[in-house]
Amino acid sequence: MTQPEFGATPWGRAWVRAVESTAVTRPNPLLPKARSLARNNAVTDLHTEPGRITATVSGHTVHIGLPLWTQAPRGVVADHTGDLPDELADALAVAVPLAEQHTHCGCTARTPHCAHVLATLYTLAQRVDERPVLAVTLRYPLTAPIDPDWIPLEAIDVATFYGD
Amino acid sequence: MPEQVTYVPAHGAFALWGAETAGRRVTCRLAVPQGDRVVPADVEVSLVEPEALPGTTASARAWREAVRLVEEGAGDDAFAELAEHMPPAAHAILNAEETAISSAAALLDRYRRAAAARAKLGAINAELRPYQVDGVAWLHSVPGGGVLADEMGLGKTLQAICLLATRDGPHLVVCPTSLVGNWRRELARFAPDTPVLTHHGPNRELPLPVPPRTVVITSYSVLRSDDELGAVDWDTVVLDEAQQVKNPDTRASKAAARLSARRRVAMTGTPVENRLDELWAIMSLTNPGLLGTRARFRQRFGTPVEQRRSATAAARLTALITPHVLRRTKSEVATDLPPKVYSTIACTLTGEQATLYRDAVDRAFTDGFGSGFQRRGRVLALLTALKQICNHPAQYRPDDLPLTGRSGKFDRATEMLTEIVEDNDRALVFTQYRAMGELLARHLGDQLGGPVPFLHGGLAATQRDELVRAFQHDDDAPPVLLLSLRAAGFGLNLTRAGHVMHYDRWWNPAVEEQATDRAHRIGQTRPLTVHTLVTGGTVEDHIAHLHENKRALADAVTGAETALADLTDDQLHEVLDLGALS
Repeated sequence: MTQPEFGATPWGRAWVRAVESTAVTRPNPLLPKARSLARNNAVTDLHTEPGRITATVSGHTVHIGLPLWTQAPRGVVADHTGDLPDELADALAVAVPLAEQHTHCGCTARTPHCAHVLATLYTLAQRVDERPVLAVTLRYPLTAPIDPDWIPLEAIDVATFYGD
Repeated sequence: MPEQVTYVPAHGAFALWGAETAGRRVTCRLAVPQGDRVVPADVEVSLVEPEALPGTTASARAWREAVRLVEEGAGDDAFAELAEHMPPAAHAILNAEETAISSAAALLDRYRRAAAARAKLGAINAELRPYQVDGVAWLHSVPGGGVLADEMGLGKTLQAICLLATRDGPHLVVCPTSLVGNWRRELARFAPDTPVLTHHGPNRELPLPVPPRTVVITSYSVLRSDDELGAVDWDTVVLDEAQQVKNPDTRASKAAARLSARRRVAMTGTPVENRLDELWAIMSLTNPGLLGTRARFRQRFGTPVEQRRSATAAARLTALITPHVLRRTKSEVATDLPPKVYSTIACTLTGEQATLYRDAVDRAFTDGFGSGFQRRGRVLALLTALKQICNHPAQYRPDDLPLTGRSGKFDRATEMLTEIVEDNDRALVFTQYRAMGELLARHLGDQLGGPVPFLHGGLAATQRDELVRAFQHDDDAPPVLLLSLRAAGFGLNLTRAGHVMHYDRWWNPAVEEQATDRAHRIGQTRPLTVHTLVTGGTVEDHIAHLHENKRALADAVTGAETALADLTDDQLHEVLDLGALS
């Protein structure tokens, strides 16, 4: 059973569709290059936070800004592995069309979606496949459910860590 | 900085850290302050017992107080109040994703439960090594259950028995047929007060309800066919040699998944984290739902990790499984181990073997042994026949039938050697019979996917030297070397082996010990595991008892065969009779 290299889950697939949408009308020669970069681990230091993706691709620094949702998505509760029900993927429209992204890359290409930006998005799709809740937290800061048995690291006061 | 104390459930012990300390040194993942944040870090700690806790810092004093409360049998209120005053350093245990630490109350609760479990270990008739005590505490406290994956020879069975004997039951142990007898013996030896029921063989019948505290031992083949095992509400289910259920499509796996239990433990000596399909299959039995469905697991972890070496997916998977998998290697616990660890494995006689064995005994007694020199010869011939039958029916009467499933010892040896090879370790296997060595060489060659050489007296000296040299120095040499016990006497140096297996018994333990020492040299840093295979209830058992009494005076033990020839017919029959053995 082989799986798509990018977009094995509906969550990652939504991002792959966004990346490849322009190729529907005319071929985008940058896509094969972008896939090749992603495949060969040229995308390093991929970091995500709500509304923002950064990465280094073949030495170029890539920034991608995404519009945030204005309110919390309803009914989204990730399980302990960071997974979400696939049925939600289509309803939520998690991926951002290329035209609505703000991108910047340190390379000299004049297109806002150079091979480095596209490679970042392919790698993002793989990360989303691995952890679907990432697709949602990119668009809205979800607070994790509170478990009384665990204390988040950021809630610990350094000053009183050792007590005395 | 003065020393801090954190209770570490994974080790069932207190970690002393932050200062140079004595004790068992290990590395733990703990949360520690760094600048103005608290971050996960590798911390060098010493593991200490409750009585060795210092009283110098708030975290140390808090755990001293916890120890005192447990000793006094204090109530929930006292622990709740203590939890209020514990500084984060005392409970800096990270969650799987390393985003949070345990609350003081939750960690205190785990400590209380582990301490209660430890208090019950008095019922166990064995001196546990420190890492085994940790293992039992882990088995008691790991949420839902998990995979005990210690390297072969570290005593997984003993640790599991400690779990079973200190819980109320009823419990179910599922193991390969070749190990049913071994489980029965080990339970009788280590937990003599625990009722044990062997649910195996054609006349099996499960009493319903299963009596409390009882441990029911069954085989994977019975699990496949008997539905009533699924109708019992088990306390703990142990799946030994869990590689047997690594394929979720098999009937054994499906039956194992249907078992209802509060705690599930899988045991395997093979590192499970290397084959993700098998990892999913085994963990779907011990911790259903932990890794999601099989298809989803492939999408999210299997494909990313195996096909594109995704570091993020691998890290997340490790975080998910780490709390539920306990694996120690011999090197890691070397300080707890003597240089040679002896392990006797009781194997089960197959139906074919039992029939041949009884026939041989009956015929010999019907024909009579005569007296004097003639008697000695006939007794010896019978003993030899019986030992051959225990080894393999095809050694007793050569045939061209398939070898698997006909000798409990042969199957068990194959399973163990497969595991040792998968662990990238090496083994020496001794037998006193040339024919047996050749059977093993042929069979293991097929099973291990490469030729398995046999060093015996019929080889030229140069050939023998070459086998020894290759085993000792070539990285791609076969990892298993078969040796005839007699040929192995001459100054061979085979110290690369981590395991020695005695496939059959020699009357004189000194000869076996000499062979064992081919693999062991003074100053060797890695402990050597010596496995002795014994077919339960047979003449091999008799030899094993002789050895246990004689290992201490290992030299100059002679003529046990002669001694047997001197017995009366009745005495001899008692020694050789299979009795009620099924």
